Amino acid sequence: MAALLRGLRAGRLLRGLTSVVAAPTSTHAQGSSLRRGFHFAALRLQDESKFDKPSASSSSSSSSSTTTNEHHQAHSAEQDTEAASQQDFDPNGSDQEQDEDFETEEQRQTRILTAAMEFVPLHGWSMEAIAAGAESLGLSSASTGMFYNGAGDLVLHFISQCNSKLTEILAEQHNQVQLGQAEPKKTADFLRDAVETRLRMYIPYIETWPQAMSILLLPHNIPDSLKHLSSMVDDIWYYAGDRSTDMNWYTKRAVLTGLYNTTELVMLQDSSPDFQDTWTFLDNRIQDVVNMATTAKQMQSTGEAVAQGLMGAAVTLKNLTGLNQRR
Amino acid sequence: MIRQSLRCTGLLQNSSRAYSVIPPPRDTEEKDMMHRMLRVDHAGEYGANRIYAGQMAVLGRSRTGPLIQQMWDQEKKHLAKFNDILAENRVRPTALLPLWNLAGFVLGASTALLGKEGAMACTVAVEESISEHYNSQIRALMESDPERYTELLQVIKEFRDDEMDHHDIGLEHDAESLPGYWLLKNAIQLGCKAAIYASQRI
Repeated sequence: MAALLRGLRAGRLLRGLTSVVAAPTSTHAQGSSLRRGFHFAALRLQDESKFDKPSASSSSSSSSSTTTNEHHQAHSAEQDTEAASQQDFDPNGSDQEQDEDFETEEQRQTRILTAAMEFVPLHGWSMEAIAAGAESLGLSSASTGMFYNGAGDLVLHFISQCNSKLTEILAEQHNQVQLGQAEPKKTADFLRDAVETRLRMYIPYIETWPQAMSILLLPHNIPDSLKHLSSMVDDIWYYAGDRSTDMNWYTKRAVLTGLYNTTELVMLQDSSPDFQDTWTFLDNRIQDVVNMATTAKQMQSTGEAVAQGLMGAAVTLKNLTGLNQRR
Repeated sequence: MIRQSLRCTGLLQNSSRAYSVIPPPRDTEEKDMMHRMLRVDHAGEYGANRIYAGQMAVLGRSRTGPLIQQMWDQEKKHLAKFNDILAENRVRPTALLPLWNLAGFVLGASTALLGKEGAMACTVAVEESISEHYNSQIRALMESDPERYTELLQVIKEFRDDEMDHHDIGLEHDAESLPGYWLLKNAIQLGCKAAIYASQRI
């Protein structure tokens, strides 16, 4: 709440929009979730009419973006209920509207960023998208002052959301395999599917994704983006059944990181329908990795055999020369 | 800040994961602490294994061979246990493993080249450092919440006792009769401390 006030004050200083600031927050306090739903629907209609282009690819992308919008909405609703169940400040806090007043700064930020995602195709990964998201929730656009890192926060939020979605999917598959409802996949297939699932989450935003990537590469975002990348790669390997605790741990993760990043770059320039070229590229790279692993294994066993032969030869030599005395 | 909330969602994911010896972490601080502990323990057991491998490469066919082999077998069990714990809790192994691989083997082989007493002096020095290290971990865990870490404490205590046994075996087998014993022991223990410090972090 304090941060919101801070944001409001900052907005006042910057834009001098005192009246605008006060009005939407009060309506928000009374506003029902129903009204917000209407608001969402209206905005989505607006979006669709703006993006209605004749070409087949863009229409498919806009339809997929609406499905993700629905998903995000569902997600934010989930988060709200989660927040309601987690917070025990209010003994009679069964009412969700009441609980919203008690939501923490982080929860509110998450909510705004989730709402902002549907404005990304329109405004790009920018403060404008966050402001539009805040307004769609009935909050003032000045609440963008909460985000010190601006667009970086938005991109990182999206990435972490994608990562947790992927983790959920993988965990679900893992459970099914454990319950015997599904066949366990080969590691190569598993990695391929996981990377494809993850990259497909970028499709609704593919037009603006290069911008997001450049934001992620800004020096102050690098630690966080690396953290998200490494945790995602770690999750994939974990659910692929990797339990290595030696240097394999590092090589495996390095290989998958490289594979993921190159495929992502290929995807950006891919204009084939449904990104077929990207998935072919991914298949080929996975095959390369499999080949490399088998070669390494063969090399190792050959090396061991050679070493044993040499040791035997050395012992024979020692015996012949009479050097082989027991200590 | 938003980063904290991102971290929170990360934690929610973690809590669904399986565990046995280690309780699911309550916050990132605890998680970091546990991971540091397990990482350094794993590195320690790995290094100890390599030291015994080096000793066996030199003294394997001498009279002390079976004794070293027996201690090595126990260390192998310890390492296997920590391998399990690390894999289960998704702890990153230290990146210095190749270094410990080489350094451990060289230390074991070079002290064994000084003879049986040299090998035993090395064992005494290393095992003393490791059990001191385990003791400090036990203290830290007891201070924070002994009920919570009962199982982990049991594992560490058991391993600590094994290491103390090895230490005593070394002393029984004339470790102290090595010329320059004090110097060798202190040099090795200094190296062990540096290794522990580095393995916790890297």
